Amino acid sequence: MAPRLSLPTTARLPSSLRVNPSNTSINKALSRLSRPSLLSLVLDWLDPNNQSLCPPLLRENSSDDEEDEFASDLYPPAYSLPELRELYTDMQTRKGGKREVVDRILEGDWRDGLSLYQLAMADLQYLYDHPGTLKWACYKIQRLQTPGHEDDVEADRSYDKIDKLAMHVPRFHPSTFLQNLQSEVLPDVKAHYNFDRPKGLPLLLLRIFVLDSPYNTDLAVSATSGSTSSTTRTVTCFDASRTIYVAFPDASPHIFVSKSQSAGPTTHAETRSLRALVVEGIPKALSRPGERYALKSVNLQTKNLDAMLSLRGSGRSNAAAGGWNVYAGDKAADARTHSPLNPLLPTPPLSDDAVEDDDERAADLRNQETKTLKRALGPETTEEGKQRKRARLVAQARFGDNAKVDDGKGVERVDVLVEDAFPIHAADIEGEDDDQDTEETQQSRSRKPKGRRSGIDASLLQEAEIDEDEDPEQQQRDQNQEADASDENLHRVGPRRTGEGDGDREKWAWRPNVRLSLHGPHVFAGIRQLVEAGFIDGERMPGWMTGEEGVTMGAVRNGRIKGFRGSGL
Amino acid sequence: MGSRVSLSPELSVADRLHDEIAKLRAQVESLKNDVKLQTATLMTADSTRQILQSQTTGDRQPKASEAVKQRLLTRFQEQSAHKQQSLYRACATITTFKVNDPDPNAVDGGHVLGLRFEVMSKAKFARPYYVMLNRPYANRRYLRVHRHTVPQCIPLSGLAAQHLPPPTAKTDEDPPQKQDLSLFARALRRELVRYHNRAAVIGDMKKAAGLGSKKALDQDSDTAIVDISAADAEAKQISIQWRDGRSGRLIMNDDGGIVKMVVQGDNGQDRETVRRFLGGAVRVEEVTKGLESH
Repeated sequence: MAPRLSLPTTARLPSSLRVNPSNTSINKALSRLSRPSLLSLVLDWLDPNNQSLCPPLLRENSSDDEEDEFASDLYPPAYSLPELRELYTDMQTRKGGKREVVDRILEGDWRDGLSLYQLAMADLQYLYDHPGTLKWACYKIQRLQTPGHEDDVEADRSYDKIDKLAMHVPRFHPSTFLQNLQSEVLPDVKAHYNFDRPKGLPLLLLRIFVLDSPYNTDLAVSATSGSTSSTTRTVTCFDASRTIYVAFPDASPHIFVSKSQSAGPTTHAETRSLRALVVEGIPKALSRPGERYALKSVNLQTKNLDAMLSLRGSGRSNAAAGGWNVYAGDKAADARTHSPLNPLLPTPPLSDDAVEDDDERAADLRNQETKTLKRALGPETTEEGKQRKRARLVAQARFGDNAKVDDGKGVERVDVLVEDAFPIHAADIEGEDDDQDTEETQQSRSRKPKGRRSGIDASLLQEAEIDEDEDPEQQQRDQNQEADASDENLHRVGPRRTGEGDGDREKWAWRPNVRLSLHGPHVFAGIRQLVEAGFIDGERMPGWMTGEEGVTMGAVRNGRIKGFRGSGL
Repeated sequence: MGSRVSLSPELSVADRLHDEIAKLRAQVESLKNDVKLQTATLMTADSTRQILQSQTTGDRQPKASEAVKQRLLTRFQEQSAHKQQSLYRACATITTFKVNDPDPNAVDGGHVLGLRFEVMSKAKFARPYYVMLNRPYANRRYLRVHRHTVPQCIPLSGLAAQHLPPPTAKTDEDPPQKQDLSLFARALRRELVRYHNRAAVIGDMKKAAGLGSKKALDQDSDTAIVDISAADAEAKQISIQWRDGRSGRLIMNDDGGIVKMVVQGDNGQDRETVRRFLGGAVRVEEVTKGLESH
């Protein structure tokens, strides 16, 4: 290729920029797709609308002397687009290996290279095929106070405070956002952006692919460019960890940012800083003159976008999770039954049973306190059916229609730090006995010494660090916002004041640092099942175990997640 | 099913029976609903009350029917209470109720005040919006939003901060702000209704432009405008797409007044289209009327 003049620019990487097929990462990106999705992807590329971004190699004309050029070729190029499309459609009906398709793409029809757009499509296709591969962290977009006067800015007063009175829902405009984001990203980093709307999810997905190169031409992506140092660098360039996904849910002032899966040789620090760069750039890109925004983590991380959307989407279920979701139903039937014009007497769920066997429940409670569960169930087999029914009803009351195993809204990990005082009386025991029932990895450790974490696996370690990162931040936030802080203080002081006798003891009580982490394909469905099976006493189970707080990380004080997370405000 | 019939007649018989059972089940279900509806209607009738009360006053009744009567009377009371509640809900549109927080560690003994907001859209009552309030602050009557079902496009947090500010610490120099629940409820209801009205106006505009249903879109493809949709969460911005590639944005304020409109054509801004489209309208409804008359 003739050396072209390449000037460092601040522009983004064009979608049509081609990457040499000899690059191993391209091979990797394509071969991790299944054959059917690969073929449908190729057919998408061959769509007439996409020709400017992913043109295949076609023969110019059917003259004889040109055929010689490809005579020895394993995959001779096709004459026309329809022909090629037919070829791949044939492959769809035929059985065969995936290798065949990948080879045909790389050595045949796209031997000149795949455009960045094609790579983005391949990556997105993989994401849609395997929706659980990325971990998403949720951030809330919050408006910052606009300084009322220049003096305010100079005095550094009310400058970076969140405008709580804002009566404005942040709006998001994709192309403006991209322009601004590009100007926020450093000039020696080039990024390729690709927007896509996944089917069946009310959100807009932005794929950001970052390269360390000052150029936005071939030089940025070519592995065979002059200096050797850049060669080694470009190889690492095409790593999955350099891809960041940002999802913008429709009509919701939140964004979901993917956490890197750390696959590849790039170090953690590098990916993190990259991500931090983007996360930092996003609020600036959203802001406009006189309208500044900040991102605030809402302590929600999951691999499941559906779960994320139900907790932070545009619907009604955001601040009404768990048992509260009986109020959030939005179907036509719900509207009819809850219409004020419905003359039928409402039949609240569980209303009758809840009162019926109250005494029985009390007796059960006493039993469960004294005996272990196995023994409790043993002699009372006659009661077993009744208890089971009761447990099911309690589960229904606490979880509503949420947290069903098959609802596809599973959160795979919940981390909780319990900061409550160690219970002294049997009567004081509040949530703690639930914890040991739930078969969790329970870690009690002091927060400072790091040596004790040795037994935890690497990912937990990472989480723990994040948690520690966030805790001071949370405290700091509380200090910064007087209002919030006073909430917290009052709230902490509250129970002490009410229980006057316990006041002193409470103050000096031993507060072990109990760290709880629940894993599973659907954590809250698991808890629900345990409640239904009677292993967890559904009535004494703290509220955060139903998932109604809408967080996957949190500190528990007085049996509740700190900071009123469930209200979504 | 036709192919199955030809294959095996037994299967078809089974299928037919299956269908019949399903149909009968549905019938039973609808009849049951009918009965419920009739009972509800009867129970709320004034004459029913008279009969019931006259029976209770009369003492020549046998003892057995006394229990039935009592049951009917309680049912009647429940039903009339429900009727009254429905009446309030339909007319006052903001109603309150009490909820018990199932969380054993809930603040304030699990007492939760629920606000129910009725919103009408498309000549129907939509599912009410709920806001649940509790009192997490010790020894104070200050309320805080506990749970709610208000969608994200309503600035609930701003409203709550304005009308239900948390109690400030005593050291603070600012005077303690007072909470005003009724103002909060009114402001929130206003936002909800305005949001629904804006969304409805956009729907009306769509219909007026001949984009009401998909069928209409297919049939006459000569409409100048190909798409009208809300462009933001709050339904304050309307994006309009013309067939010839022009695209426009109309911004309205909270109440449906037109703030601004811009149309981009092939060569820059197209002010002529804006003028024609708006036709001197001040409110979005006037634009809709203008579209209809075209």
